[in-house]
Amino acid sequence: MLSLRNVYKKFGSNVVLNNVSLDVNQGDVVAILGPSGSGKTTLLRCAGYLTKADSGTLVMDDKEYDMRRISSKDLREYRKKVGFVFQNFNLYGNKTALGNVTLGLTVAQKMPKDEAEKIGRELLETVGLADRMDYYPSKLSGGQQQRVAIARALATNPEVVFFDEPTSALDPELTGEVLNVIKQLADEGRTMIVVTHEMEFARKVATRVVFMENAEIVEQNTAKEFFENPREERTKEFIYKSLTWASTEDKAKEEQAD
Amino acid sequence: MNERIINELIESFGKLFMAGIKVSIPLTITSFSTGLVIAFIVALMQIAKVPVMRYLVRVYVWIIRCSPMIVQLFIVYFGLPSIGIKFSSFVSAWIVMSLSIGAYCSETVRAAIESVPVGQLEACYCDGLTFWQAMIHVVVPQALRTAFPPLSNSVIGLVKDTSLAYNVALVEVLATAQRIASRTYDYFWLYIEAGVIYLIFCSVLTVIQRKAEAAIERRR
Repeated sequence: MLSLRNVYKKFGSNVVLNNVSLDVNQGDVVAILGPSGSGKTTLLRCAGYLTKADSGTLVMDDKEYDMRRISSKDLREYRKKVGFVFQNFNLYGNKTALGNVTLGLTVAQKMPKDEAEKIGRELLETVGLADRMDYYPSKLSGGQQQRVAIARALATNPEVVFFDEPTSALDPELTGEVLNVIKQLADEGRTMIVVTHEMEFARKVATRVVFMENAEIVEQNTAKEFFENPREERTKEFIYKSLTWASTEDKAKEEQAD
Repeated sequence: MNERIINELIESFGKLFMAGIKVSIPLTITSFSTGLVIAFIVALMQIAKVPVMRYLVRVYVWIIRCSPMIVQLFIVYFGLPSIGIKFSSFVSAWIVMSLSIGAYCSETVRAAIESVPVGQLEACYCDGLTFWQAMIHVVVPQALRTAFPPLSNSVIGLVKDTSLAYNVALVEVLATAQRIASRTYDYFWLYIEAGVIYLIFCSVLTVIQRKAEAAIERRR
């Protein structure tokens, strides 16, 4: 349904995406894992046309788009089909929770206000914020803000939703409520690409896992295979280190003792 | 200070106050609103990096900020008629003061716009909004909140600067005081009274500013 082909991107002399290709099928929940600086977020931002790639093609519903440039008409059409959730929520500070969800509908899609508000209320209910509709972002907790942001991303009922480290800016205590909403969407069959550091989430919710390092995809597999039978040495190391911090510490101590 | 002066001051107070209400305040309001529009256009030209215009607006800001307002007033009111362009006192003052506010406030406005996190602009793009729609619906309203205190400062400064229009034959507060005093020779008391009028207007504005700031604070 969505394909990224040979995405190449350089910041200065630093290659951040080296001919990365990725296919996403209907109903997939793709978790993109990898160390910081591996190009995960840039890949997502290029797919959302927030950063222009140096080269690459994007295919969505059999329509090809150049990732270097896009006409504003094509972009408008494409943006209707994708939703984007940011690490820092990026809620509109001058709008209430409901206003945040409906702005795109009323301004960009020219939908009548009452119709947009009906959709907005329903979406805020699904993310569990029925009682916070008239709150401004500054009066909401991080987890609530991110749930509003998810509702906003869903406003146009997009075919794919991109999540850029949706829980990285949250208190550990609040990540659960956000991950639960994302899991709920996954259960409803929504297609999503999630850049994340939450290994447990990737293991339990993702259908596929993509592991990136040094501007390239090192390994991709179904979530089950990825965690149970990683093929690449680097992937094994990453999983081991991410999941077993305590035991590596023990091991380090043992080594010291030796 | 004798009884005659007291009576004269009481009598003239109404005249000075009305000159303020009829001339100084309308000049402030018209100049400031026009100036604010100019300031936003200048700021957005620079932020949107509009080709050519972004450099032209910089030249405009440079010229206005680096020349005295009274010279600009003289050029418009006394100078332009010699090339066949004639404006009334009020219109001359309005033109000069709008351009001045536009230049001075453009930097305030630009900083305020840039203080809105760029992520909100990206979120607007993802919502399908264009740059200008994002500015109108999301960025500028928040920028105005940030810019409100420094802009209020500019309004209060402008109220006092309207007295410069005295030099281009505009009969505002100071000119009215001057006219009365030239008849009675009580310059000292009448100029003090003119100062008191400005003090009253600016104090009222200060109170309004505080109230408005509190109201803005409640809405975020």
